[in-house]
Amino acid sequence: MIEEDGPVSEEGMQPEVADGAPERPPTSAEMTLLVDAGSAWTKAAVVARTRGRWRLVAHGAQPTAWGEEMLRDTLAARIAPSADRRVAERVRDLLAAAPRISCHTPRRAGRLALAAVSDELSGASARRAVESAGWTIEVMATADDGRSLTERLAALQEVDVDAWLLAGGFETGRADQALEMAGLVAAARGGSGAPVLWAGASTLADEVALLFEPEALTVVANARPGPSEEDPLPLRHALEDLLQRAIEPAGTRQHTPVAFRRSVAQLARATGRRIVGVDVGSHYLTWVRSDEEGAAESRVFAAGGLASARQAAGGPGRLTRWMPLAIDELAVADALQNLNARPATLPQTEDELAIVHAAVRQQLALALEADGMASGELGGIDLLIGAGRSLAGAPRPAQAAQMLIDGVRPLGVTQLALDAAGILPPLGALDDAEIGEGMAVLRDDLLVPLGTSVVCRGGRAGQLVMRVSIHRTGWPAIGPLDLRAGQLQVVPLARGHDAELEIELHNGASLGGPRRARHVTANAMGGVVGLVLDARGVPVGLPRRSDDRRAVLASWRDSFGREASLPAFEPALAGVS
Amino acid sequence: MNGATLHRIHLPRGAEPVVSAGAEVHPEQVLAVRRRPARPVRVRVTEPLHRPPGQIAALLLVRPGQSVAEGEPLARDPQGREIPAPVDGLLLGTSASDGSALVAPYGVEEPVIGHVHGRVRAVEPDAIVLEVPGVVLHGVGGTGEAVHGELVVAVHTPEEELRAGSIDVSATGKIVVGGSRASAETLTRARAMGVSGIVLGGVLDKELRDFEAIQRRRREVGGMTGAFGVLLLEGFGKVGIDPQRFAWLRTHAGHTASLFGAEGLLFVHEASPPPGRRALPRIGERVVAHRRPFQGRAGVLVAELEDLHAAPSGIPARMGLVRFEDGRLAPVPMANLEATLVAPRG
Repeated sequence: MIEEDGPVSEEGMQPEVADGAPERPPTSAEMTLLVDAGSAWTKAAVVARTRGRWRLVAHGAQPTAWGEEMLRDTLAARIAPSADRRVAERVRDLLAAAPRISCHTPRRAGRLALAAVSDELSGASARRAVESAGWTIEVMATADDGRSLTERLAALQEVDVDAWLLAGGFETGRADQALEMAGLVAAARGGSGAPVLWAGASTLADEVALLFEPEALTVVANARPGPSEEDPLPLRHALEDLLQRAIEPAGTRQHTPVAFRRSVAQLARATGRRIVGVDVGSHYLTWVRSDEEGAAESRVFAAGGLASARQAAGGPGRLTRWMPLAIDELAVADALQNLNARPATLPQTEDELAIVHAAVRQQLALALEADGMASGELGGIDLLIGAGRSLAGAPRPAQAAQMLIDGVRPLGVTQLALDAAGILPPLGALDDAEIGEGMAVLRDDLLVPLGTSVVCRGGRAGQLVMRVSIHRTGWPAIGPLDLRAGQLQVVPLARGHDAELEIELHNGASLGGPRRARHVTANAMGGVVGLVLDARGVPVGLPRRSDDRRAVLASWRDSFGREASLPAFEPALAGVS
Repeated sequence: MNGATLHRIHLPRGAEPVVSAGAEVHPEQVLAVRRRPARPVRVRVTEPLHRPPGQIAALLLVRPGQSVAEGEPLARDPQGREIPAPVDGLLLGTSASDGSALVAPYGVEEPVIGHVHGRVRAVEPDAIVLEVPGVVLHGVGGTGEAVHGELVVAVHTPEEELRAGSIDVSATGKIVVGGSRASAETLTRARAMGVSGIVLGGVLDKELRDFEAIQRRRREVGGMTGAFGVLLLEGFGKVGIDPQRFAWLRTHAGHTASLFGAEGLLFVHEASPPPGRRALPRIGERVVAHRRPFQGRAGVLVAELEDLHAAPSGIPARMGLVRFEDGRLAPVPMANLEATLVAPRG
């Protein structure tokens, strides 16, 4: 790990220095610090050259408020015991002098006022685009919100925003209401000079432009061109551009959501795999989907992180439904509020951990829903990567795997992995060419493989839906294992092992492929959790009675826990708190 | 007395500042005025000018969003015929289907009050920045409007719950320091009794939501007068105020305080520095814990455990050993502890 400028023995050990020998020039070390400074937690990793290779040698996470000096002390304390004795005393200084690759959570989200014709059509489409492009909606007014014109005007005048968004009117007809809403925005905006986006009927764009001073209005494609058509992508891209221009003129490459997207895209390109990455932070939730070519689309939910779980649709009631422990809904609501008030604290009790994990699952599911994707529509991916403190810092890898599987419901056969050291975002802050290089040199340490999930849908409760045989070279075959609808089974499949799966689907079950094949063969990669055979359906059906529901949820939790025979992450992977 | 604290008062769009930099202000003083647009009136534009409705945009002399004075021409045709604005107001928009314009007359003047003593440092387009000769406590949550009043303490201990029965007319116009919790009923009663604001260690999220819902309904049916704010200092749930902070608040009973519920701020005027807070406490320091099962409890950090240790949740963490004030000794993740620092004397 630590190398001297002078010769080093083959084993990396330094020759003995006799007492009284002339002082040798100071040793140096090749190491780099990767830092992701979040709004609540800072994650840092040290990569260093050890025995000729760059390896991850230490990593940790701590509340951002503790400061960088403490972070260096912690990392130095980790490294020192295994460091060359001549530099062990100086690790802290070496870390301070080490090159640093860093990214950070955006200083703040863009604040936007949204005016639309209809709450359920143009308003909903625009809202979805806004909320997944790194903006938050400070105020929303629609022509059908039941308020008087003056009440709407007063609401729009009250808030301080960075930009205004107008939406409404289908491409097929004329919508005077859209023009009225535009007039209202013009009245509320006054002379504030904040930019205005028009994402409504293109036929009205010229008339809307007359309401504002020249250059104030940017016209983008209609986000809701028809009653049953939605085209949010141009608006989302325009909002991303505007965010960079209006809020972060210095650039967004060092922003964690952007850097995470770049890393996932590069990884997909390098491995030729379709990858989805989800990063659940205190305030932000980012999800990235990249094809084999590295063409990546991301959604950045500025208010999608754990701190916003209390405000999420359905509130604590929805979240409580997903907890295997009988925790009072009032206590859940308080815990979520405290998570918002003090995001850099840790769940100390089992109950609080269960609440946090249920919140992660919920926020992931909501992010997919907000993107217009029902649970389970996210199929056909090869690798699902989880990132963020709550996933990477889960006490047991099985808990992280369960959060990912339950939140995303990746239909089909999907490898699961964790960015346990928080390396992906800082690497994504590098230049394009360097990201690939960084990933190549750290290939063995980049991700912690959790295993592979096989998620199917279809079938009625109790019916046989999957019969799975597992073949491993040099090992006796396992199975066939029968899974009935509602069942979950975890089969140990160690890290570094792979297996061929023969899957027979019964009673209308499907893995989400384009064809309804009854026999499927697939490869599964092992990991610290193993092979997760999941016949719980998509979306997961839960019993109505709360006792039954909790019993079922507890049995699923136990399935994950029981079969994950490996111990929790070693401390170096679990992070410092 | 401590130095001054800067405080920024946001101005809604359309508000006109009536103070200038350097001016001394008091809590009741009007800093800006605003005339909210009232129910709009429809003005026929194209019909009297014998033009088709679709031409309204070309005839208008003012753009939506601009102010017009009564009698000022709103639209003019090529022959010079004009449509005057019927009232002083704001042009909200036009309709190309019937050729009319909507003009919202300005309502009565509404004051923007600062609620703090101080000096105006700067007047910005969207805010007035004040230097406040006092100290500020940052809460973790709150609700309601900006208010000010005399600070009074209504509980005997920081763990005590604020009961509805403890609120009477003597609390009218005051900022009342409660204890670890107040029910929606207590908050509703406090508001009804004319209390300006309540400062609590904690409150159940459900109670706060219920209270907000009651206020919303009352606002909808009308008749709700006066402003009211609630500030939470420690967290959600039943959480006592840190005894040091409580003692400091008690010392400053009788001082003027300004509470900004939505922003989670409490200014206490002419006050000595309050006990501070710092992340990452040192051994021997007094600490307060922030998550269950010790949320809101104070003690002394007696040791920091070497290496990482699993909390009962299973999360490996840096742990501190805390001797709580009730005598219990317990390991707590360092991330959940804050040092509470005694205020410097003098």
